[in-house]
Amino acid sequence: MNRISPIKHLALIFVAVAMVLSACTPAATSEPQTIEITKIVAGTPVVEQVVVTATPLPEATAAPKPTGKITLWGWKAALDTIKGGVLDDFKNEYPDIEVEIVELSTNDLYQKLLLAISAGTGAPDISVIENSHLAQYVDLGGLTDLTDRVTPYLDKMNQYKWHDAQMDGKYYAMPWDSGPVVLYYRRDVFKAAGLPDDPDGVSQAIATWDDYLNACKTIKEKTHADCFALNKANNYGRLYEMMLWQQGLGYYNEQGEITADSPENIATLEKMVEFWDAGVVSDQQEWTDGWYAELGSNETPIASIVEAAWMGVFLKTFIAPGTAGNWGVALMPAVKAGQVRSANDGGSTMVIPAQSENPDAAWAFIEFALGREESQLKMFAISDFIPSLETTYSNAMFIEPDSFFGGQVTRKVYTEVVKQIPQAYVYGPNYTLMNGFISTAVQKVAAGQMSATDALKEAAEAIRLQTGTD
Amino acid sequence: MLESDVLSPSRKSPAPPRSHLWRDIVKARWPYLFVSPFYLFFLAFGLYPVAFSIYLSFTQWKGNGPIRFIGLNNYSLLLHDNVFWQSMLNGVLLFFIYVPIMTLLALVLAVILNSRRVRGFKLFRTLIFMPYITNMVAAGFTFQILLNEKYGLLNYLFGIFHLPAVPWLESVWGARISLGLLVTWAWLGYNMIIMLAGLQTIPNELNEAALIDGANPQQAFFLVTIPLLRPVILFSVVLSTMGSFNLFTEGFALFSGSRGHGPVNSAITPLIAIYEQAFGNFKFGYASAMSYVYFAIIFALTLLQVRYFGRED
Repeated sequence: MNRISPIKHLALIFVAVAMVLSACTPAATSEPQTIEITKIVAGTPVVEQVVVTATPLPEATAAPKPTGKITLWGWKAALDTIKGGVLDDFKNEYPDIEVEIVELSTNDLYQKLLLAISAGTGAPDISVIENSHLAQYVDLGGLTDLTDRVTPYLDKMNQYKWHDAQMDGKYYAMPWDSGPVVLYYRRDVFKAAGLPDDPDGVSQAIATWDDYLNACKTIKEKTHADCFALNKANNYGRLYEMMLWQQGLGYYNEQGEITADSPENIATLEKMVEFWDAGVVSDQQEWTDGWYAELGSNETPIASIVEAAWMGVFLKTFIAPGTAGNWGVALMPAVKAGQVRSANDGGSTMVIPAQSENPDAAWAFIEFALGREESQLKMFAISDFIPSLETTYSNAMFIEPDSFFGGQVTRKVYTEVVKQIPQAYVYGPNYTLMNGFISTAVQKVAAGQMSATDALKEAAEAIRLQTGTD
Repeated sequence: MLESDVLSPSRKSPAPPRSHLWRDIVKARWPYLFVSPFYLFFLAFGLYPVAFSIYLSFTQWKGNGPIRFIGLNNYSLLLHDNVFWQSMLNGVLLFFIYVPIMTLLALVLAVILNSRRVRGFKLFRTLIFMPYITNMVAAGFTFQILLNEKYGLLNYLFGIFHLPAVPWLESVWGARISLGLLVTWAWLGYNMIIMLAGLQTIPNELNEAALIDGANPQQAFFLVTIPLLRPVILFSVVLSTMGSFNLFTEGFALFSGSRGHGPVNSAITPLIAIYEQAFGNFKFGYASAMSYVYFAIIFALTLLQVRYFGRED
């Protein structure tokens, strides 16, 4: 309830004033930070010698090095990676650039960035943006055109990453990391169910979502474990979007027409619904305590989860450290046999708002952090975020076995998958809006209120109405 | 003011000449200076946004770039916006779910505490009021854990008494009732304090007189105290009515996983819907139109309530 008492009124005004003032005054300078690279690998002895084959850098050109102060916005996981991976090296290389780092929650970051761009003041020099939100900010305007600067990297990055970064032939963002989707599975559960439990065997046995469904039924029958978590009431379409992505589908097509109710989309949703109908999935919602509990349990485990590579880090570190050695990484199933077994979920980029008074220094940082193999690899060593920079994949780090995953060379799987991520139309300028309507549609189907066809038709109509494209 | 106005003979009491007014202002310059910050802030952060969003409601604007005038399109689009009307309906349903119970509870608790027969009444008053000043995000998160279908404390207690587990946050009605629970918990103390303040303005003599005249305590309560408390109860109910449509933080915190929507939009409130259009979808023109339609509806509802309950018999 928002009954605004006079005191709250005053408080609101103070906050508003404070925001205006803080936008105008330069914030306190940050202390130089010395951060050691700490490896996030819990519970397992890890050989971590970051072997970096430094590629010879192009000799400094005649142009003087940029100087000055830049501000960088990001959220905790991203900033920890930057601080631990590249900040010190950057300071050595560019001693005259001072980097001020501002940590925000993702929601706050998006809202503040919108307000700063809208107000014409207060934006940072660099902001990290997730790919799911990137196109919306490109569409909003207020970002620096980076076309000339990113041109040397167009061929070196995962191709799908450039889709959301461009508008009308101009590029506005530099890719950081990618989210190749794989099938994480519990070796012990698969073994108990009499299924293959080595990664190659699982990849072969579960080649399609139909195979997956059968395996799930076997697991449920033999071990009583749920196959994966697929919440009904609050589902927000995450798995559905991955299934769309792997087929190169999405909510709209190349011409910008809304295709959320295409026959292919309907068939995809119906395929997902089969898992509910078979009663083989758990109802825990992602990122809640119940979900963490079943993923981290050895007594009542959940058999698998289809998710992007960053999930591996979260499993290791805070969700399921007690299950070390019991996980494996296989290819995600295809919707139809023979189709590509790869999709994207998440991933980030960096942008330079047009308000930046020092875009040269900002670009120097972005290029240093994201364009250099050495930097990307150092950040990769900390966070396991798969670099979008494909030239890093030949490094020895990518063939290290991972004891959390039973000694499997997981990063090799990730890089094989990431190169195959198809061009899809899930994210886009209206992603937030579309995802909202689709989530409701999926919830209606899950609750048995509507058929997949009717629910998606209803959602597509609403999207067409609100986006004004018909 | 024009000279001719001032001199106009048709006016019965001519306004003071301009110089006079100015002299008054100069004379009272310090008081004016000291009260001016409020008015300046009100102009900048109150009046200006309100006026600007009227204009915005006839336009299409992302928050940056050109503002395109589109006439009444936003308003006609709103007629077909199921989410918005669902959010208004949710406001009505929420009102019926928690306002009667909360108001009654607040009244009963206020009467008990007012009787001073309770030992440590200050402690109880503080305890009941405490949720009001508790951070709602923390409270919402705690309720999420308490109400979890599989691992929550509430369903665990249900299990002890062999009752079936209730999908509190996982079903349409469960979600609304959960939100009602959270709101009642958070706002009971606030309403109780209002009632308590009202009770304390009623002189004891009135009750005593009624008792001497032969009324029993129940009659004295229902025929003396309640009628006298009516304006206070009305005040509390009117605030709660606006409150059930104005809910924002409560729903956003309790259904953080679905950005305040709840299962199949069962818990989305008008404010959450407006916020999402503006700051999620960057549709500031449309969100402004929503705000104005929402304002008109709440205004009408409040008028009705004041007319219906507020009139003295």
